Amino acid sequence: MLRARDLHKSFIMGRAPLRVLRGASLQAARGEFVVVTGASGSGKSTLLHLLGALDIPDRGTVEYNGQNLFQLGDDARRLYRNRDVGFVFQFYHLLPECTVLENVLMPSLAAHSFWGWRRIRRKARRDAEELLDRVGLTERTKHRPNELSGGERQRVAIARALVNRPALLLADEPTGNLDEEVGEDILRLLTELNEAGQTIVMVTHDAKVASHAHRYVRLSEGVIREAGSPGGKAIPVGLATREVIP
Amino acid sequence: MYKWFLAFRYLYTKLIALFGVASVMLCVAMVLVVLSVMGGFLDTVRARSKGLHSEIVLEGGTLQGFPYYEEFGEYLKGQLPGTVELTTPVIYTYGIFRVPATTWTKATRILGVRLDGYVAVNDFENGLHYERYYPGTTRLGLQSMPVAGMSESNVLQLPPDLEAANDKWRRQETDPEAIASFDQGPFQHAPYPYVTPAILGERVYAADLAPPRYEGPEHYGVIVGCDLLNERREDGNFNRYLARGAEVALMAGPLSRTGTTTGEPPILVPLRYVDDSRTGIFEIDSFCVYADFDMLQHKLAMDPQPLVDGGFTKARANQLLIGLKDGIDLNMTRDRIRGAWLTFCASLSPEVSDVDARAMSLAEVYTWEDLQRPFIAAVEKEKVLVTFLFTLISMVAIVLVGCIFYMIVEKKTRDIGILKSIGASGRGVAGLFIIYAGAVGLVGSILGAILGSVVVWNINDIQDLLASLNPQLRVWSPDVYSFDKIPSVVKQADAIWVASVAVLSSMIGSLIPAWIASRVWPVSALRYE
Repeated sequence: MLRARDLHKSFIMGRAPLRVLRGASLQAARGEFVVVTGASGSGKSTLLHLLGALDIPDRGTVEYNGQNLFQLGDDARRLYRNRDVGFVFQFYHLLPECTVLENVLMPSLAAHSFWGWRRIRRKARRDAEELLDRVGLTERTKHRPNELSGGERQRVAIARALVNRPALLLADEPTGNLDEEVGEDILRLLTELNEAGQTIVMVTHDAKVASHAHRYVRLSEGVIREAGSPGGKAIPVGLATREVIP
Repeated sequence: MYKWFLAFRYLYTKLIALFGVASVMLCVAMVLVVLSVMGGFLDTVRARSKGLHSEIVLEGGTLQGFPYYEEFGEYLKGQLPGTVELTTPVIYTYGIFRVPATTWTKATRILGVRLDGYVAVNDFENGLHYERYYPGTTRLGLQSMPVAGMSESNVLQLPPDLEAANDKWRRQETDPEAIASFDQGPFQHAPYPYVTPAILGERVYAADLAPPRYEGPEHYGVIVGCDLLNERREDGNFNRYLARGAEVALMAGPLSRTGTTTGEPPILVPLRYVDDSRTGIFEIDSFCVYADFDMLQHKLAMDPQPLVDGGFTKARANQLLIGLKDGIDLNMTRDRIRGAWLTFCASLSPEVSDVDARAMSLAEVYTWEDLQRPFIAAVEKEKVLVTFLFTLISMVAIVLVGCIFYMIVEKKTRDIGILKSIGASGRGVAGLFIIYAGAVGLVGSILGAILGSVVVWNINDIQDLLASLNPQLRVWSPDVYSFDKIPSVVKQADAIWVASVAVLSSMIGSLIPAWIASRVWPVSALRYE
């Protein structure tokens, strides 16, 4: 479903370019839960942003269902972000002026025009409420983000990421800002979602998190160095990136 | 849809937007006040200018006037029977107004009018002071001075015809406050016709203990501009120093048909002050007096004069006022009457002397708007200029909205990243901020229109309040602006126009910040903390 090949990305830091990705490649099959681990600054988030078409690589491709995202126009990439991908961020990134329910509805609002929204608003609201029920926030729909705990905010972010029923969920350190217990809850939730068929690619610096995934890869110095399955033996890089996933 | 949703959500959750709303509100209120006052000023000027003349005026263009005015009036009624209602001649000249008892004098423009015809073609009657309370008693013919006195029942009364006229007014008056106000002081008694009464009042008659009567020699009446003779109080009313019927005089110099002096000494005409008129135009009310047409024509030697060959000159007038029937197009009718005048002059040519032909050739047909155009155009330009200046000042609001939105975009960079990560386009994000600015402009405009309207509706009270704190703060002087009150009507169209421009301006002000927002790269925005 998702195939990233030979991704290169550098940023200008001061006068010198900082090469963050130096040929990273990754695949994810439908229904798979892939975890990308690596030290801070190893390029995990950059890789995730490229997978979600939030950024453009210097070189390399990301194919989604066989279509190179970076050959698409701006509108098509916008639709990809709206319909095919859901993002979960470390710092939740909720809109502070909106209630929990409104935050969850936001991708749906972004998908429809003024009149289009009038037609689907009841269904969209029902779907959002169902998702909030699923993440255990039925009682919190009218609260603002600043009235929620960190774990609750992340649950809202997950619900928002799923409201348009995207095929792919991209999670950037979703437990990075939470204590261990709450982080474990979030991981359990993601695992449940994955068991229900949701494809997830998650980046984290916490190697323990990898135990929840079907497969993990380790990003180091801008390339995938190591891959494996929870409890299993490390797989050579080439296999991890190109051959393990059928 | 998120654009509309978030724009209106930000509107009441972001405190900073209130500064934008406040600036738009103040600008809208300011421009609306200026536009309403200047527009009201212009409308009043137009309305009063229209009331000064008839719809169409045949203007002689010289002080010595032109002949055949009566004949042309009859000719016109025959030629345009469905158009012309009536015609009435006017003489005007310049002279000196004098109050003999006090030897007070003032330069004046003297108009000779046939009162019945004159009031039928314009609004002159509406501004007559005594005529309002004693209808039908203001006449320009020969008359003595009415003196209030004790009736048989020992009540101070005016002569019976004036009392009857006053009764008639009471029966016709629909405003009970006006009658109550009148009854508080039916008239003030001047012990001598020309001496300031003990209490300065509205209606001044001479009075003593004898029965009410008319006394003194009969003189022609004269109506005097209210600002010429009386003192205007701050409340817009007048202190009247001269009793009705008091003797005044006019001095003027007759002119021959060619505009030279006749060799006769200047005329001195004793008259009786019968009323004062208020057109609302200070330049007119402080300068004009109105006397009987036929008397003035005779005194100024503009009536038929004997010629050496035994014949007579034709009577002359300076203007022929032409009243039209209702619903007649003014400019088209002016052109038709202009053509009729030329045809009339041509038809007379064999019998008209060279002097008269020259005088007639100088006469021109105007509409009332043509005659008042310089004055109205000046006020129109003043309105445009003042509105332009205040609109220019209001442009500050655009800059302010731009600054506020720049700050909002800076503050909302992370939200922009979030929106883009969930599928918002750059165009959509720009639209969000433009709609947001439009909403700020809309709310500011509505509040500004309300504030501006409240200020305009109460502008005279506000001025009175300010003046009570410090007299120097009285900015509207009736002497300067001709009107007693600052115009206080808000036109709906003006309010809508100003509000629409303000909304548009707010949106324009937000364009640069919106463009910046649209260019925000989602990743850099999400990293923004």
